[in-house]
Amino acid sequence: MSPSMPSDWIRVVVPAAIVMSVAPPGYATRYLTVDEAQHLAFPAATQFVEAHVVFRPSDVAAIERLSGQKVRSRGQQVWRAQADGRLLGFFIVDYVIGKHLVIDYSVALETDGRIKAVEVLEYREPHGGEITSHSWLEQFVGKTSRDPVTLDRDIRNISGATLSSQHVTEGVKRILAFYETCLH
Amino acid sequence: MRPAFTSARRARALLGTFVEIEARGISRRGLDAAIEEAFHVVAEVQRLMSPCDPASDVSRLNREAAARTVTVHPWTHEVLAAALELQVATDGLFDIGVAPPGRPVPRSTRPAIELMDRRRVRFLRRDFSIDLGGIAKGFAVDRAALTLHARDVPQGVVNAGGDVAVFGVDESTIAIRHPRHPGSILCRLELRNEALASSSGRIDLFESSAVMAPAIIDPRTGTPARAVLGATVRASTCMVADALTKVVMLGGERVAALLAHYGASALFLANDGELRITRDWWGRVRLAA
Repeated sequence: MSPSMPSDWIRVVVPAAIVMSVAPPGYATRYLTVDEAQHLAFPAATQFVEAHVVFRPSDVAAIERLSGQKVRSRGQQVWRAQADGRLLGFFIVDYVIGKHLVIDYSVALETDGRIKAVEVLEYREPHGGEITSHSWLEQFVGKTSRDPVTLDRDIRNISGATLSSQHVTEGVKRILAFYETCLH
Repeated sequence: MRPAFTSARRARALLGTFVEIEARGISRRGLDAAIEEAFHVVAEVQRLMSPCDPASDVSRLNREAAARTVTVHPWTHEVLAAALELQVATDGLFDIGVAPPGRPVPRSTRPAIELMDRRRVRFLRRDFSIDLGGIAKGFAVDRAALTLHARDVPQGVVNAGGDVAVFGVDESTIAIRHPRHPGSILCRLELRNEALASSSGRIDLFESSAVMAPAIIDPRTGTPARAVLGATVRASTCMVADALTKVVMLGGERVAALLAHYGASALFLANDGELRITRDWWGRVRLAA
């Protein structure tokens, strides 16, 4: 590595306005609808039969013990993927919620509980009743002269600080424990 | 996206972050299958190179390679070969070696790893292990993009938490997040048939919107990089871009010749608040504001 001349770099003073510059954190995005994710995971399915499994206290204890994750909901939405009445697998929609981010995701399971697919359905900001803290996205929306639609189309890909996916990984563990406890 | 094509955008939790694939194709079925295969490739790289998976090539090497030769997957071999070349070229600034906790890796341009024929690998030092975290994500992105391309997908973007590859005839705009203000964009860049990677902190958004301190450790001192807040590198492959971001984080302005050697461009935000951009890239960077 030979020493280089300073002139190899252009120095730029970052405009003060940049801090006010408007951008969503990059992840208020819809990837798939529930319906699309279902058919992607089970293309042969002719029917998705929806059920809402209400947890008994013993279910909560078992899921928490098996997964090491806290159960925050009272039950779990689950679909049976079927073809002509035959069970192909299970399709579960779940979400993980944080201070500044909610991630909706789906888990498709084989009939024996093996993971078939995990898809992120949507990233979004926690809204209304979900969380009471000051809206984080709001800080960045509405301070722009740009059309928000243009903004959304423009900023599809972001590079920079890496967004952690740890919470989804933990959520999937909880879903597998839910299968063992309630669907197995 | 042109209306004559069908397009798709998917995301999965892989490599510790969200891997997003956006692609355009002729048929819906072909596009879905190609994206599925590309995600499968990324998952395979994770399976081979994750230090958290005890069955990964990296874990096997760290357990056994000091005592005996270990045969690895061709992809692991390829990443190791690239890492060793980078270690020599960067005079030790890029180093996949990990020292036992509390001790810096003895800085060396002579890697402590020997790559042998038939994909066999051995370590030349005891008390030594590796971490491919600084290069494997870029490799996974390259592989995913190649997979899409091989499946006749004409246009696509693969983005693994900021490690991005763009292929096809159209340009894609990539926004660079401000390392200190994650809700703000530092600048934008147009990419076509090239790759880009950034290094700064991690962001969680579950507990807080703050960016955590960068995890880049200077192999010379064993302490974190401080002079540079965040760096972005453009290169022909994402693997090289990924590795070179760490080199810019540590070397700052001094690495310009090295960037030129790899045909790479870079920008970084120094802790004095000034942005430095390599001369060749200056005209293409669109500052926010």
